[in-house]
Amino acid sequence: MYKNVFKYDEMKRSEHMAVRTTVGWYYWTHQLLDVSGPDVVAFLEYFYPNNIGKLEVGRDRYTTMLNEQGEIIDDVVIMRIEENRFWISSLYASRTDDWWYFNQGNFDVEWDEITDEWAMYSVQGPKAKEMMEKLVQNSIADLRFFSHMENVISGIPCIINRGGFTGEKFGYEIYVNPGEMEDLEALLKEAAHELGGREVTEFQVMAWTLPTEANFYYMRDLAHTNPFEVGLEKNIDWDKDFIGKEALLKIKEEGPQREMLGFEVAEDDIYIQSKQLGGPGEAVYLDGEEVGRVSKLVYSYVKEINNGYILAQKGKLKIGDKIEIHGHEAVITEKNWLK
Amino acid sequence: MTKIIDERIPQDSGEGANFKNYYGIRSPWNRIYSYQEALHYASRFEAVLSAATTQALRIIVPEYEERAQMMCEEAFERLYILGKYYGNDEGFGIHPFMCGQFVGALIGDQGDDALLMCGRCQDFGSYRAEKELDVCDWDICGSELCRATVMSLQGQANSSAERRRPGPTMDYMMVEAKGCGDRHCRIVAESREKYPAPSRPLWESFGPAVTADMIKHTEEEDCVDESMMFREECGYRFVNGVNNETDSSNQMINLSTAASLYILPAIAETVKRGYVTREQADHILKCVLEASGKALFGERYAIKACRDWLGVPDSVGEDGRILGGQIEMLLQSLVCDYEVEAFNKNEVILIIDRGGLEITGTTDLPEAHLYMWHGMVKTLVNAQWSVWEESSPAGKMRIKIAKKIDKFM
Repeated sequence: MYKNVFKYDEMKRSEHMAVRTTVGWYYWTHQLLDVSGPDVVAFLEYFYPNNIGKLEVGRDRYTTMLNEQGEIIDDVVIMRIEENRFWISSLYASRTDDWWYFNQGNFDVEWDEITDEWAMYSVQGPKAKEMMEKLVQNSIADLRFFSHMENVISGIPCIINRGGFTGEKFGYEIYVNPGEMEDLEALLKEAAHELGGREVTEFQVMAWTLPTEANFYYMRDLAHTNPFEVGLEKNIDWDKDFIGKEALLKIKEEGPQREMLGFEVAEDDIYIQSKQLGGPGEAVYLDGEEVGRVSKLVYSYVKEINNGYILAQKGKLKIGDKIEIHGHEAVITEKNWLK
Repeated sequence: MTKIIDERIPQDSGEGANFKNYYGIRSPWNRIYSYQEALHYASRFEAVLSAATTQALRIIVPEYEERAQMMCEEAFERLYILGKYYGNDEGFGIHPFMCGQFVGALIGDQGDDALLMCGRCQDFGSYRAEKELDVCDWDICGSELCRATVMSLQGQANSSAERRRPGPTMDYMMVEAKGCGDRHCRIVAESREKYPAPSRPLWESFGPAVTADMIKHTEEEDCVDESMMFREECGYRFVNGVNNETDSSNQMINLSTAASLYILPAIAETVKRGYVTREQADHILKCVLEASGKALFGERYAIKACRDWLGVPDSVGEDGRILGGQIEMLLQSLVCDYEVEAFNKNEVILIIDRGGLEITGTTDLPEAHLYMWHGMVKTLVNAQWSVWEESSPAGKMRIKIAKKIDKFM
């Protein structure tokens, strides 16, 4: 009954563990916005709470985007392509487009969505660097995390970005013209195979199990939260003005109402609703009192246990607490299962 | 006739009395219903009309398997083409990296909530998806409709997948259906590359699922009766797993019905395939829908309930205003524009925007309503009264509710 859709699935397991033990590659195209102009830095500083101005050309930065209430409405990677030109990698580009349009003020900038111009592949795992070195014309040995460079793979011009959300030390993203996809995929397949790796094809692995195990979010986890609640406040640049700052300062002063915590369920075949599938998430009880809702429930193939996140009332739960969710016993844990 | 409009309570009555604004519909006698109630009302009424329409289809194609196969073929093909040319992947939160037909599950999930078919997604992955519904107003229409809805989803999934990098195929099935008497509707989609199964005819869209042991059955006490957009625990928003959000504000205008989306197109298909002529199909529709309308108020208590629902004062006796008020409530619920040309004890004349009543662009849906209203007035008021269309301006349906003698009625 309620057979675990992760635990017994050897396909998901092998795709997940390829990334953890050797190398996995997958099609990972996100939406891209190209934004440029004389005021582009000020523009982005206004829309994103983390510092953008100090970002060097060739480097990337992860940041949230907030509304006036300080709620997270997107989380993105910003890549500085040129001094006055950036790429924004998002999964909600049309909403971002609307948000920018209606709040753009007098900034002298222009932007285009360029999603159709780039296909992106992710290469992740302990052997990702070795695999990439076999493929690229110019060594990526010195490429730092969240840095990108132009390169060539077997005659295919590309941009290599070092990054990813799997928690792996070596992770790379390859941006190519969509017309080159077929040729590049053949090269990736062969190179991964030689190292004992494989293609990751399951959405649940690339978007849920791998990032969750490493304490990363999918945007659904962050919806209607603020950075203080989900631990993303550390890199906020308080010395600048940005949308949502006033609300965030109030939250900072008063303290957040909720917090995102990790949890595990030892029982194998469980039925627990979580927000990752839509809806409100299952209620979490401590001594009979509802103290939160389940944001995410997946499976850690490394730790061999059901794992996920709970958005709980601040201060109600601590690590080690035993909780009850839909009749199943669970325990509060750290959020990183790779430590 | 005089075209008199009886004194109606002004729309701004009470303004300045410190009442808060409301969002809802109101009867000619100022009985107000919330937006939520209006949406439920429209959904239920249209489901009843759809159920009657299904009976017409059953008369035209009596054999179940033949009818179900035809409905599935028609729905699959039409929704595939609609998806191919007008598909809005981003509107459903389908991300660029998603490959294959599993993205169709996002389309179905969002559509369910908008149609008040509340429940929950149980699984969503590249090789398997599962959705469980606790409520479906269409469950009175017949199980062949359940089959056709799955194939329409398959059509949309296929067309959406064609716009993407190739990925796993998905076989969509409704392994439980409220229209068959099951507690839930349950769609399971399985990749046949990962979960092989023998191929089957299109109409056999009820499964069984290879992954039956992964199904999560929600017990009665955990079932819901409202869509996310009407539930506090959801923040009164539909939010799916890819963070696509909608609130209730645009649901009425997005309403589709079983008749508009499946049954009337299937009847049109029977004409195309030569089962009947268009005239014969209309004749059968008229007979069935008129009878269905008469049955709505066959019991005296139904008339009393209708008067109470509309807030009809005792001073208003048996006349066409009762049906007129009832039709106005439906039109408001459907956000269908109309004008009141006459509203008095002798006659009611409403000029209705045809486009609004076509709902999903189904051009014969206004006539289907007219047939039903004509049947309704016979029992809601009495047999002296009729409803007919007369002198309609372009793009409008001008209906008249009045006494009429017709020796061939």
